[in-house]
Amino acid sequence: MREARKQATRRRVLGAARELFEEVGYESATIREIAGRAGVSVGSVFTGFCSKAHILSEVMQERLGDLYGDLERVAPHLRGSTADRCRSMFAVHYAFEFRRLHLFLAYVAAGFDWRADPDLPAMGANPRLRGMIRDCLAEGVRRGDVRADADLELVVDLLVGVYAWNYRRAAAQPVRPEQLTDLFDRQVGVIFAGLAPG
Amino acid sequence: MNQIPIGGLSAVAEAEKPTRRAQAKRRTREKIVGAAKSLFAERGYESATIRDIAKAAGMSTGAVFASFTDKSDLFTEIAEAEQAELYQTMQLAAAGLSGHAAITAMLDAARERHAGELALVRAVMSALWTPGLAERARRRLERRPVTTLIAAAAREALPTAEAVQAAFVAELIWDGYLATLRRAALGGLTADAVKARIDAGARTILAGSQPG
Repeated sequence: MREARKQATRRRVLGAARELFEEVGYESATIREIAGRAGVSVGSVFTGFCSKAHILSEVMQERLGDLYGDLERVAPHLRGSTADRCRSMFAVHYAFEFRRLHLFLAYVAAGFDWRADPDLPAMGANPRLRGMIRDCLAEGVRRGDVRADADLELVVDLLVGVYAWNYRRAAAQPVRPEQLTDLFDRQVGVIFAGLAPG
Repeated sequence: MNQIPIGGLSAVAEAEKPTRRAQAKRRTREKIVGAAKSLFAERGYESATIRDIAKAAGMSTGAVFASFTDKSDLFTEIAEAEQAELYQTMQLAAAGLSGHAAITAMLDAARERHAGELALVRAVMSALWTPGLAERARRRLERRPVTTLIAAAAREALPTAEAVQAAFVAELIWDGYLATLRRAALGGLTADAVKARIDAGARTILAGSQPG
């Protein structure tokens, strides 16, 4: 009973936070406002979450559940070279994040915040995204278009890092998702040419 | 040939003999920058306030505003000074080298420099994504002069590459470097492991940029 009430509070806080972040932006939304909209006390927000960054992280995780569910369904049906499969997976990401671009940029900024709880899932460290890219690369090794001695963890870091860094262009000026997808497609081309068996 | 214009000489002499007032002004700025640097590194850009910085520097908030127009101005000055020093460090490391060897040396010098100040690096990276940072400050920080150094070496490593392609490759190498640095900032990698990853990333990108 007590656990059920805790879960209900948690859901209300996350719902209120998602609405407020979208309406006024992550930076402007305060814990007090989130509590007010959720109809709970500030204190009970802090029993479930340790900071605003923590709430943002949970809001993003909830959203990403849908994205990764779709990607996991799509992944086995991807065709073409390993580079093209990677391009398709990241293109889905760019299109998805552009729907809530400001929220996503706030999430990246918070990802560099070393005061956040180290146990929180950090941007780019999402095990599901990393797992899918790693699987795609391992499949590439089997198919023969990725070198067998390539350090796949390193390639995952490189791809996810380059993918994420491209968003800084969106933080500086308005860009369309296709512009980032085109840029990333070229970057992927170079990285995979460098991974081709010699 | 090789004549130093008289005007240039007197300008140098003036720069070497600043007035007492200018000296005091410079000392004040240095004090503020020193305090701000450690506060930004400790708390991040958003959480470090001008009031805290003034307090740490032992002066009034008004005195800080006499030297800097606002927080983003102060932050940008610090970040730009860091970038200028990084540029010099990398340039020095590449002296006498060319192509891939120059790139390896430059990235290693950057890694050594960044390893000592990961907290400040994180603050700069975070600030670049924060909508609160003034547009003017962001534009100043977005310029990445170090990639021009890498691009020059990339042109030597890739003789048939056009300048545009070399700049693209240099940006990609630097993005890869930053991705590894971010991982290093999160912890769990030895210095040797970080170095090996940076080298492997740059090698992959250069190999992939070779024509044919």
